[in-house]
Parts: sequence; C-alpha cells; structure tokens
Amino acid sequence: MREQMLKSILSDLNGASADIEASAIISSDGLTMAALLPQDVDEDRVGAMAAAMLSLGERTAKELARGELEQVMVKGDNGYILMSYAGKDAVLTVIARREAKLGLIFLDAKRAARNIAEIL
Amino acid sequence: MRAYDNKIIFAGPVGAGKTTAIAAISDIAPVTTDARASDMTLNRKDTTTVALDYGVLMLDEATKVHLYGTPGQERFDFMWDILSHGGIGLILLLDNTRANPVKDLQFFLNAFRDMLKVAPLVIGVTKTDVRATPSIETYAALLEKFDMRPPIFEIDARSREDVKKLVLALLFSIDPGLES
Repeated sequence: MREQMLKSILSDLNGASADIEASAIISSDGLTMAALLPQDVDEDRVGAMAAAMLSLGERTAKELARGELEQVMVKGDNGYILMSYAGKDAVLTVIARREAKLGLIFLDAKRAARNIAEIL
Repeated sequence: MRAYDNKIIFAGPVGAGKTTAIAAISDIAPVTTDARASDMTLNRKDTTTVALDYGVLMLDEATKVHLYGTPGQERFDFMWDILSHGGIGLILLLDNTRANPVKDLQFFLNAFRDMLKVAPLVIGVTKTDVRATPSIETYAALLEKFDMRPPIFEIDARSREDVKKLVLALLFSIDPGLES
C-alpha cells in the first residue's frame, strides 16, 4: 500500500518533466523503498550509494558551517543525479538528462520530497 | 614513517564494533555517518554506518595513524574499495555472536583479497564474553588453509587499550623495527 503511494509520487515526478529519466525513494540506511529505475540498474547498490553520498554531504555541510543539508547533486557528461532528504529517514534520488533545466527539476523534486515525507 | 602513509582500514560484519573501536582510540572527535537502520541490522542495533568512520590516532608526536571504518553490509561494498585505496593494513573485526563468524571471516578475506595481497591483516574477535566459540584456534585453522598467519586477538571494541593493541600489531607486522 505504502509502496504503491510512493510509486505513484515517483511516476508523477517522472511525468512532470521529460528531462527526468528515473527516480527512487531510499531509506537513509540505503534500502530501496520504491523505485522507477531502468531495468539494468541494481536498486540495492544505487540505494547504498545515495545513502552514503547524502550522509557524507551532511557531514561536510556541517563541517564547513553550511547548516542542514538540503541536497547533493552529481553532474556527469550525460546528466545529473540529484539526491535530497524526503523527511528525516528517506532519500529521494532523481536522475535527469544533460539538457535538463535544473531550476525546474529542483522544484519538482522538492514538491515530491514533501509529499513523500507526508506519507512516511 | 610519514604521516600520510599510515592509513588503516577497519572492516567486518554489521555490529562487530568498527565504529565503536574507532571512537575508542581516536584522538580527534571521530567523523561518523550513522543512519537509522531499517534492515536486519535492527535485530542488533538501532543505527548503522552508511559511508565511513574516520578517526586519528597519534602514536607519538610524529606518527599519525588515519583510521577508516567501513560499512558492514554488502550493499556498501563500493565503499570498501574506495576506502581501502592506499591503506597500509587491514583490521578485521569479527563478532562471535553472529550466526556464522567463520563464514564472515571467509567472506571478508575474499572481499578484501586485493588489498590483502599487498597489505597485512590483523584480526580482532569481539563479544567473546557473550559467546566463547569459535575459538581463536578455529579462526587460525581456517586462515592456515589460505596460508595466512595474521595476529588474532580477543578484544573489547570499547577498550582503547584493546583496540590500540590491534593497531600496534598491524604496524609491527609492517615494520618490525617499530618501537611501541
């Protein structure tokens, strides 16, 4: 039931912009709660990586006095990976195309994260 | 020894005491990345390391040992590779209260086999007060099969003296001339 609700948030998110290719919701210790990822992606590993990145980002933000972490962004040749907290114990990961308008992606991700936090 | 050469890795299964051991010997406030557990880890403890632990042990004014702790769950095995890069030695903690600690040993020997080709190993067995078996001899017998004879200690991961003993044993196997 909860997974269905989470999945519907993800499909809304993926539908909100053609630039969002995939998304997933992961517990803060790195287990996938719901995911709309390409088939060849190993959910467990992506989950663990997102949890590790966010946790390190949080520590780095604190160490350098940047306050509470809002998000971690990774940019590669082929596009973006955006990770943000959805509540205290879950992570929303969004994978976007290279051409994506980041401002819009941020906005969509923020809205989805808020909806996820309400469910959890 | 130069400061940046002394990087030691702590590995082992969930709950063996890696985070605790680093906190016990670090001379700085350790960097930890604990997250609330939602998997099988919950049977053992509430939180779990998701990226790394980091601490520093000053052996003397000139000798700094950087301590890196790894997450225990296999899904974090990419962190094992990242963290063991440049490590001069591996401290493997085994938890005697787990279902099959001997299998854990075998698993981690295999997971860190590349590092162990070039770096020495020291083993610390924790929670032996709760469960006395497998004995050190049992672990040693398995290691012997792989032609390995690392120092093995029964330790309390909360004890600075115990954990320091592991680190010194490791440094000593790298440089037998080291005065402790």
